[in-house]
Amino acid sequence: MWPKVREALVGWSMDHPKIVLTLTLFLTLAFGSQLPRMQTDTDPKSMLPSTSPVRQYNDQMERWFGLHPDVIVVGIWSEKGIFMPETLARIARLTDGIMRLPGVIARDVAAFSTVTDITVADGVLQARPILERVPPDAAAAERLKQQVLANPLLVNRLISADAKTTAIYIPIETSANGKVIADRIQAMAVAEQGPERYFFAGDPVARHTVGTEMFRQRKLFAPLAAVVICVVLYLFFKSWGLVAANMAVALIAIIWGMGLFSGLGVPIHILASMSPIFLMAISTDTVHIFNEFTFRRREVSDRRKAIQETMKAVGTPILFSDLATIAGFASLAIGHIIPARVFGLLVAFGTFVILLMSFTLVPALLALARDRQPPAVPPVDDLASSWLARFVRGCVAWKTTVVLVGCVLVAVSAVGLSKIQINNNLVAFFKPKSEIRVADRHLSQTLGGTAPLYLVADGKTPDSVTRPEFLRALEDLQRKLEQDPVVGKTLSVADVVKRVSRVLNNDDPSREVIPDSQEAVAQYLLLFSSTARPRDLNNLVDYPYQKANLMVQLRSWDAVETRALLERIRTYLSSQPLPGGVELKPAGMAYFNMVWSDEVLVGMLEGFIASCVLVFFLLILEYRSFRWGVVSFLPLLFTVVLIYGAVGFIGKDFDLPISVLSTLSLGLAVDFAIHFVSRFQQHYRETKDLEGSLIWTAARPGRGIVRNAVLFASGFAPMLFAALTPYITVGASMIAIMLLSALTTVVYLPALIALFPRWLTRGL
Amino acid sequence: MKRTIYFTIGLVMIVSSAAIARAQALSGEEIMRRSYLARYYPGEDMSAHVIMRLVSEGGQERVREFIMSRRNLKEGGEQRYFLYFHRPPDVRGTAFLVWAYPRRDDDRWLYVPALNLIRRIAASDKYESFVGSDFTYEDVAGREPEEDTHRVLREEKAGGRDAYILESIPKNPGNSDFSRKLSWIDKTTWLPLKEEYYDRRGDLARVFTADELKEIQGFWTMTKRVMKNAQSGHWTEVIFSEVRYNRKLSPELFSERSLRAPPAEFTK
Repeated sequence: MWPKVREALVGWSMDHPKIVLTLTLFLTLAFGSQLPRMQTDTDPKSMLPSTSPVRQYNDQMERWFGLHPDVIVVGIWSEKGIFMPETLARIARLTDGIMRLPGVIARDVAAFSTVTDITVADGVLQARPILERVPPDAAAAERLKQQVLANPLLVNRLISADAKTTAIYIPIETSANGKVIADRIQAMAVAEQGPERYFFAGDPVARHTVGTEMFRQRKLFAPLAAVVICVVLYLFFKSWGLVAANMAVALIAIIWGMGLFSGLGVPIHILASMSPIFLMAISTDTVHIFNEFTFRRREVSDRRKAIQETMKAVGTPILFSDLATIAGFASLAIGHIIPARVFGLLVAFGTFVILLMSFTLVPALLALARDRQPPAVPPVDDLASSWLARFVRGCVAWKTTVVLVGCVLVAVSAVGLSKIQINNNLVAFFKPKSEIRVADRHLSQTLGGTAPLYLVADGKTPDSVTRPEFLRALEDLQRKLEQDPVVGKTLSVADVVKRVSRVLNNDDPSREVIPDSQEAVAQYLLLFSSTARPRDLNNLVDYPYQKANLMVQLRSWDAVETRALLERIRTYLSSQPLPGGVELKPAGMAYFNMVWSDEVLVGMLEGFIASCVLVFFLLILEYRSFRWGVVSFLPLLFTVVLIYGAVGFIGKDFDLPISVLSTLSLGLAVDFAIHFVSRFQQHYRETKDLEGSLIWTAARPGRGIVRNAVLFASGFAPMLFAALTPYITVGASMIAIMLLSALTTVVYLPALIALFPRWLTRGL
Repeated sequence: MKRTIYFTIGLVMIVSSAAIARAQALSGEEIMRRSYLARYYPGEDMSAHVIMRLVSEGGQERVREFIMSRRNLKEGGEQRYFLYFHRPPDVRGTAFLVWAYPRRDDDRWLYVPALNLIRRIAASDKYESFVGSDFTYEDVAGREPEEDTHRVLREEKAGGRDAYILESIPKNPGNSDFSRKLSWIDKTTWLPLKEEYYDRRGDLARVFTADELKEIQGFWTMTKRVMKNAQSGHWTEVIFSEVRYNRKLSPELFSERSLRAPPAEFTK
C-alpha cells in the first residue's frame, strides 16, 4: 500500500507543483500569523509543576515563616572597609532606592538600614536599625563597626568578618524578573559613583539570566547555524535552488510547529525554545533526497522518472526514520514534566511536517527547477574508487577487529557511564569569569554564601520550640553544620535567645547561652519581638512555637553538594536525635534545586530510555525482523553509550543541556542507521552480492549520511563560542553525536554485517 | 443704574453667604484634631482588659492577653501606659511601661520576671511594631495632627455612619512611615472608622478598621479594631473589655517600681 500512496503523492505533487507551492505558502502564512501570540516562560523553575510536592511544601513553609522563595543578594565591597561615612551613606541611599523598586517586597528587605541590632549600653537596651543614621565622622563609624561585628546574628550574613563586604537581601515577588530588578539596582549603584564594588547573586538573578540568555542566544545561534548550513550545502551540491529548498523545509516545519503551539496558547519554555535547532537538524533528512537525486539524474534522462525513482529509493528510509523520530519525541509526552511534553510534541509535530514536505514540496520543487547544465557523465569507477568505498572495503576486510574494538569501546564507556552524576547548578551555566560566577564566588568566600537551605524542626505540639533542651539540640546541630565546608552560616531561634540573654545581662559573654527555664525563653522572645522587627523572629519560629526554622546559607548551588550535606545531617541525627523525636525537614531554594535536578533530569532520562525502547520496537516492526531491528538500533546505542561514557570520564555532570542532547541523538543516529540498512537491503535484494552491496551503500547513501553529518556538525560549530556553558556543551556534544553516529553507521555496520552474513541475510 | 445696584447687592449677598457656609464647614485640620482627642485622650485615665490576636499570612495565631492602663498628663500632650501580661502563661508577669511624649522619643521600660530584671529600652522611633503586632507605637499612642497636612476629600457613609474622608500628607516625609493616609472619620463620635496607609511607593500598606464602637461612661470607645498588612496579609485584632474611665489611677502605677510589684487588681 505504501508504495502506491508514495507514488500517487509524489506524482500529483510533480504534476501540480504550483498548487503544492501555493497551498504550502498559504498554510505557512496561517501558522505564521499565530506566532505573535507566542507566550514564553524563561523560568527554569516552571519545569516542575506548581502541584509538585516540593513546591507545595516550600510554599507552605514559606507561609509558616513569612519567607520568600526568590531573594536577590547584592554584595557591596570596599577596599577601605564598609564602615566609612560616605560608603555607609551610599548604602543607605541605595537601600532606600531598592525599597522603592516595583517587584521588590520592601517590608522584608534585610540590610543595614532595616535590620535591628539589639545592644546594651549603660544598662539601657538599644534596639535600632544598624544604620539608623549615617555616622557623622570616622570615629562614629568605627564604633558602629565594633558594635556590628560583636553581634553573631549579623556576622557572615550582613557583614563579613573583615568588615569589607556587606549584603542586602532583597526578596522579590514571584512574578517579578530577578534579572530586570538586578539591572535596575546596578544602574542605581553606578549612579552613586563610589569606589565600592557591587556583586549580584541569588537564585532569581541566575535563573532569569539563564532564561533570557538562552532565549537570546537561540535567536543568535539558530540563524547562524542556518547560514553555515546553507554555505556547506552549497559547497556539496553547488546549487542555490537546492539550498533554498532544503532551508524552506526546515523553516516551514519550524513555523508550523511554533505557530500551532502559539495558537493553542501553550507557553514556550526553555526546552521548547530549542526546538527550531532540532527541527533544522531533522530536516537535513532531505539531503538524502537531493543526494540520491544527483546520482539518479546522471543515470536517468527523464526528470520526472528520476524524481519518482529517487523517491522510491529513499522514500522508505525517510518514512521509517521520521516515524522513529516522531515516536521518540512524542513519547516524551508520557512523562510528568510539562515543558518536556510540550517540547516532545512540538518536535514530533515538526518532524511530521518535514515528512509531509519530503513527499510533496520537495518533489514539486525538483519538478519546477530547471537544469542549468546537462548532468555530467559519471565516471564508471567513480563510486568504487571514492574514499568512502575504499574505507568501507578496509572495514569489511578487518571486520573482526572493527567489531571487537567497538565492543571494547562500549565496555570502557560503560565504566564512564557508571561515573556520571546527575547534578544541576544554574550558576555553573556561566563561564568562570562571568559577573554572576564572580559575584557568587565573592559572596561565598566573604559571607556565608547565597544558596538558602531551610531545615524545619517540627516539635508536633505548641510551645515545643521554647523548651531549653530543644534549643540546645538545635544549637549543637548548628555547631556541627558550621564545620561543614559547604555551610557558610546558620541562624536559628536559638541564636536570638542567646543574643537576648547576653544583652539583658549587661553584655556579659558568659551569659550568651540558652536559659534553663522555658518561661525565660518565652519572655526573651516576647522582648525580642517587641523591640526588633517582628519578621526577624517570625522567619525563625512559627506562631504556636511548634516549628523552628534553621536557616542555612550554602556556599554552593550544586544539587550534589546539597544532597551530600543532607546525608551527613541524617547520619548526625541518627547518632544524636533531636529531643522528643523531632524530625528535620528540608526546604528552601537549595533544596528545591536538588529536587528539581532529581525530578526533571531523572524524568528526562526516563523519558529518553522509554523513547529508546519504543524506537527499538518500531525498528523491529518496520523491518519485520528482530535482527535488523537490533542492527539499525546499534548506532544509536553506540553513540549514546560512547558520548555519556566520555561525559562520565571527563567528570561533567548530567545536567539540563546534556539531558536534552540525549533526545537529539534519537533523531539523528537512528536516521543514519535506517538509511544505511534500508538501502543496503534494497541493493542486496537486487544483486545478492554482500560485499558489493556494502561498498555501494557506503559510497552512495553513505555519502548522504556523511554529508548530513558534516553539514550539521558545521552548523553547530559557532555554538562553541557562546557565552553560556550549556550552549558550548550542546555545540560540542552535537558535533560529537553527528560524527560518531555517522562513523558507527559507515564503519561498524558494514563490519558487523560482513561478520554475520548468513545470520543477517537469511530471508532477505 | 438701579438694576446695577440690585445686581451688585445680590452678588455680594451670594458671595458672602458662600463664605459663611465655608466658615461653618470644618477644616481638615480641625476634624483631625477632634478625632485625635476623641481617640487618644478620652477621660483622664482608663484601663482595659486587652486580647490581642496576631494572625500570620498562613492563618497561624498567637494570642496575647494583658491589662492596659493609660493616664493623660495633659490633654493632647504627654501620656503614660502600663501593660501587664497574663497570657500566654509562660510570659505572665512581664510588664511594660511607656512614657509617650508627643515631640520626642518615648521612654520605655520592661520587666522580665524570669530574671527579676527591669531594663530601660531606648526607643528608636514610633513606627516600630507594638509588641510584635501590626500596630505601631504611634498607632497606640497617637500621632500629633500638626505633623501632617489634612484635607477633606469628600463626605460619605461608612458602616452606616456619616463620615468625613480625610487625606493626610506628612509635612516631613522622613518623619513618618506612610506617604499618604486616608481616614474615614465618624461625624458623631469623631473616631476613625477606617484608615488606609500608603507606603513610599504609593502602594496600600496597611488598613485599619474600627469594627465595634461602644459608648462607655459617655466616651465612645473602639472595643474591637483590626490592623491588616495589605501586602503580607498578616493582621492583628485587638479586643477591649472591662473598659473603665476616670478611675483616678495613682501616678505611682506608672513608675518603675510597679513594674516589679504591680497592684493586685492587675495580677489576678
